[in-house]
Amino acid sequence: MAIKSILVIEDDRFIGEMYVRSLKHEGYDVDWVVDGHDGLVAVTSKPYDLMMLDIMLPEMRGPEILKALRGGKVDKIPNTRVIVMTNFDQDDESRMAMQHDVDAYLIKAEITPRKLVEVIKGFDKPTSVDEQ
Amino acid sequence: MAVEQEQKSKREPQIREYWRRYRRTARGIIILMEIVVTLIVGLALLFSDIDPSGTAFWATMAATALAATALNFFILDFLLTPLRDLAMAVTNAAGEKPTDPLANPNAPRYSKNGFKPLLQFIYEHAHDEESTKDEKSDSSASPQLKRFESALHETNTGFVIMDAHGKIQYANHAAPVKHDTDDTLQLELLFETNNSFDNWLANCRETAVRSEQSWVRVPNRIVGDEDRRIFNITANYEKGSAAEVVIVAYDATGIFQPEDDELDFISFAAHELRGPITVIRGYLDVLEMELEDQLQDDQRELFKRLVVSANRLSGYINNILNTSKYDRRHLQVHLSEEKLSGIYDTIKDDMQLRAQSQRRMLSVDLPSSLPTIAADRSSIGEVLSNLIDNALKYSNDGGSVSVTAATEGNFVKVSVTDNGIGIPSSVIGNLFHKFYRSHRSRETVAGTGIGLYLCKAIVESHGGQVGVTSTEGQGSTFTFTVPVYASVKDKLQANDYTNAGLISSSDGWIKNHSKYIS
Repeated sequence: MAIKSILVIEDDRFIGEMYVRSLKHEGYDVDWVVDGHDGLVAVTSKPYDLMMLDIMLPEMRGPEILKALRGGKVDKIPNTRVIVMTNFDQDDESRMAMQHDVDAYLIKAEITPRKLVEVIKGFDKPTSVDEQ
Repeated sequence: MAVEQEQKSKREPQIREYWRRYRRTARGIIILMEIVVTLIVGLALLFSDIDPSGTAFWATMAATALAATALNFFILDFLLTPLRDLAMAVTNAAGEKPTDPLANPNAPRYSKNGFKPLLQFIYEHAHDEESTKDEKSDSSASPQLKRFESALHETNTGFVIMDAHGKIQYANHAAPVKHDTDDTLQLELLFETNNSFDNWLANCRETAVRSEQSWVRVPNRIVGDEDRRIFNITANYEKGSAAEVVIVAYDATGIFQPEDDELDFISFAAHELRGPITVIRGYLDVLEMELEDQLQDDQRELFKRLVVSANRLSGYINNILNTSKYDRRHLQVHLSEEKLSGIYDTIKDDMQLRAQSQRRMLSVDLPSSLPTIAADRSSIGEVLSNLIDNALKYSNDGGSVSVTAATEGNFVKVSVTDNGIGIPSSVIGNLFHKFYRSHRSRETVAGTGIGLYLCKAIVESHGGQVGVTSTEGQGSTFTFTVPVYASVKDKLQANDYTNAGLISSSDGWIKNHSKYIS
């Protein structure tokens, strides 16, 4: 299933706008929320193809949102791909734990919008997903 | 409880009852004897001339009975007193309530007749037993033990004793332990995954009778936690002992903390820098995408320079972050099967752009026929981009940089060659040291001096080596080796795809780092 709708959960206005603008430019349907709690509400009330999740967020941090969605027995967003985007290095253990539940774990400073689009387009290909 | 005790007392006679029962029997016997003695006296009188119906006879009988009774009771009392006192002392020692008052061992008559030591022995013995009981319940102990315990409490060296089930039997005040959710004590130490205390203990249980192991610089909490302390740990194992494992944790926070704070600062500062650099690189990308058709050639060139500089800045920030991470020994690379050309592809655009904007020729020849390598993709990517970036910086205008690779035994050797200014042989040995900048390069080329240091760290953590050859004025060749995947596959699988099996010890390259030699 090709990715069309994207939810961006990002509290930095500059960075959020950067993703929204570049992804819209590529033709995606993008929603953007700035705090973790709103993010959780948004992703459970509308079926997105992709969620971009920051780690350091107001109200509710990224790992908590992920736990609320995929920590239980039932995956609450089975049809939504998840990309974690952060600029803060977590310790190995937390990173591994998150990586297990998501489709990609990326460093914001490394992933320019152009590369991000490549990663998202990569999801649409039938070949295995590169999680690096 | 009281009912229980009553039932118990019905079943078996108590110690306290003995004394009264015995005294009763003794008195009974005395009275019986009294009667016998009086009868004998009466019979004796009958055979004499005394008239049995006369007053004299009865007077003698009565006097005998009275005198004998009084005397006998006096003697009985004298004989039974020590028995009473002993019985009471024993009753008391047994934890029962004495029926008669307890004797005072310090009474003068007891010291005179030598009964005092007997009483004292019982009293002291009872006291000893009491304190042993107390020790079990509320940890008051004999003076010597108390002194020892308070000394252990005062010291800031942690001390932990574990039994054969791994349960903590004792932990002093300074010991790095915490209460688990079910209130059992647990060690609170963050060991490295592949060199943990648990691994060592499991290994000891399986193979060792006696063993000792040390760990340096083990924190109890993660970075940023207020109560973070850093320990040097020594653990002793002895199979079958009640104290199977004894752990001594020397609090070395004072030694390591300042350095950690410094690394923290560097790391936080670098993280801070990542925010703006994300925005700069991102918006350059956005603008370039949106303005693609409207830019003139010279403007396009300016854009390129902006992108190259932003990418470089991002790379340097990564260098700083990684150096602080490695210096803190958070070095854990996850190795997987990679193609060298595939790794280069991830940095290719950036490198070509850098070469182009600096007017250098970059030729990269990484044949796809090379065997796959065991590598951490982003780390080896960083090594490659650092070496290429250096080569671009230190070569002349219009010069060329070439990247080649070849198999060498169980390794793939990568060479980055420039025909630039070269390096004097006198300084070549210092190149891979942190913050080292050659005198000349300091004047002409900017840089932090951690790029090569980091390259060495990454390559050695893969089990490879870095090298350099140079001729002054003609150029330099930097090389590094990475293991061929097939040659280390088994070791990797055995170590969960970490680098543990590839480096000589868990300390790895860091052994060469002066800070850790002490």
